Amino acid sequence: MGPDISHHPLHGADGSVTFSSKLCSILAAANGPVEVQRRDELPEEAAVEVNIRPVSGVSGPRERWLESVVAAVLRSVLHLHMHPRTLIQVTLQITKAPSSTLKGAVQDVALLPSLINASFLALADGGLPLRNTVAAVLLAVVSTGEVREEPSEKELVGCKSLHGLAYNNHGDLLLSESAGGFDLAEWERIADQAEETCRAAMAPLDEDGVVMEGTTSSGPWLRQELTDKAQAAVAWREAT
Amino acid sequence: MANGTAKLAGLVFSRETFAKLTPGPFLQAHLQQPEPIRPNGRSLDAFRTPTIHTGSLSHSNGSAVVRLGDTAVVCGVRAEILLASDIPHPPSEDTSEDDLVERLGLLVPNALSYRVLSLMHTSNLIKPGDLRIQYTEPATEDDLPDDGPKIVTKAFWALYIDVLCIALDGNPFDAAWAAVIAALKSTRLPRAWWDPDREMILCSPLANETHGLRLDDIPVASTFAVFSTGSALKQRSEAESWVLADPDGFEEDVCSETVTAVVRSDGGGVESITRLEKSGGDAIDKAAMGRCVHMAQQRWREWQGVLHGG
Repeated sequence: MGPDISHHPLHGADGSVTFSSKLCSILAAANGPVEVQRRDELPEEAAVEVNIRPVSGVSGPRERWLESVVAAVLRSVLHLHMHPRTLIQVTLQITKAPSSTLKGAVQDVALLPSLINASFLALADGGLPLRNTVAAVLLAVVSTGEVREEPSEKELVGCKSLHGLAYNNHGDLLLSESAGGFDLAEWERIADQAEETCRAAMAPLDEDGVVMEGTTSSGPWLRQELTDKAQAAVAWREAT
Repeated sequence: MANGTAKLAGLVFSRETFAKLTPGPFLQAHLQQPEPIRPNGRSLDAFRTPTIHTGSLSHSNGSAVVRLGDTAVVCGVRAEILLASDIPHPPSEDTSEDDLVERLGLLVPNALSYRVLSLMHTSNLIKPGDLRIQYTEPATEDDLPDDGPKIVTKAFWALYIDVLCIALDGNPFDAAWAAVIAALKSTRLPRAWWDPDREMILCSPLANETHGLRLDDIPVASTFAVFSTGSALKQRSEAESWVLADPDGFEEDVCSETVTAVVRSDGGGVESITRLEKSGGDAIDKAAMGRCVHMAQQRWREWQGVLHGG
């Protein structure tokens, strides 16, 4: 019961994915390594460019800021030194976003985990060399003080604080965006829960496809996606 | 020297050349000392001392210049009247007070500062009550005598907040946020009232009839940069990292990972966090994040002295 993912909806892009979670849907495309404009060229590594298109209207300062956050995470996921003087471009079209009656910062934080997950899956679909696997999760402290994983829009309206965190397979914290009112102890508790959830999303499976460690409601959805993708890639060999 | 050749001079760089050629190793050489000291002479957890001048722009309702080392930011606040009858889709009655400022767009910053605007709304810095221009309707015969006087909001003050960075040496966000706070603290709004005969808002020119904005607990932003020697070409265990408080321009260029913590007072102590952001790398774990928040809380006390004193 993870997010809804469909692979390779776009045929022109190197890698693409549509990613739908409870709150938002994102169409992500990854291209790379491609030729880079002179002014963005880096001598020792690939440049990373993230473009975000909102549901309606043109992108503005808000999207510029979201782009910079997503690009910072992708830089620590990609093997940039393998393609110096090139560009890795990720385009994210938001097709469904949390309603605009929410506070600005809540909308931003609610979007970020989906943007990270979508762009990671698009990079994996495009076959780009990656240093590690990353999973992001959204946690909300609702008005009763409970912590909700992947909250619904209703729960976001009155939430005390909202946290978007991303962990890689080594358990390193790659992104943490929190907004609202909370204290350090609360954040630490949330970070623990987020790490557990992210690890569960990529928990290894045994031969029968049963989760070996940790269980959550959503199961190892990321591991499952990547396994399916790898199996589809070698299907031709088994067919012959 | 017997054969007459001069001894070759060793390859020696000046400090500036070393910093320019290889900024990463230059910073690392400083940080690897037993007592790490940054190239700018500060210790790892030392912030720059802020200085604030308020009221230097005479045509705005409030203004401030904040200086953090070689970073200087000027902020001006100008108040204009938004008539309630001019609001195309008035928010419904049940919109909470906290959301009102954001829904009506009563704070208008220039494009430089999306994070600043977002933080202003998250922290509910401005009380909508301060921005309302209200009018008590005279009692009519239809009114029940028990009802109190009917108060209607005729207009709102909209605050145009302009932030301009006049010198940049790293960490513009902390300086911009402090400049906005200081400018809002110095803002004086003239007394305004609804004139029923002329059906317009009138403002008093008298300086002693102005009122300020109530900013009770002031959130303070502290930014940290993380310098890490880790790379994809090395073992993960070989990576070392240092957290640098209040990075300057040189350090910002070398460090990719940043942490920003915005803390505010929660009643008596400084417990509450309003915004916590971290991105760009994997060197900061939970414990390091805790240390950053503690440093941010100390910095909060430092800023309170400067903001309330200045």
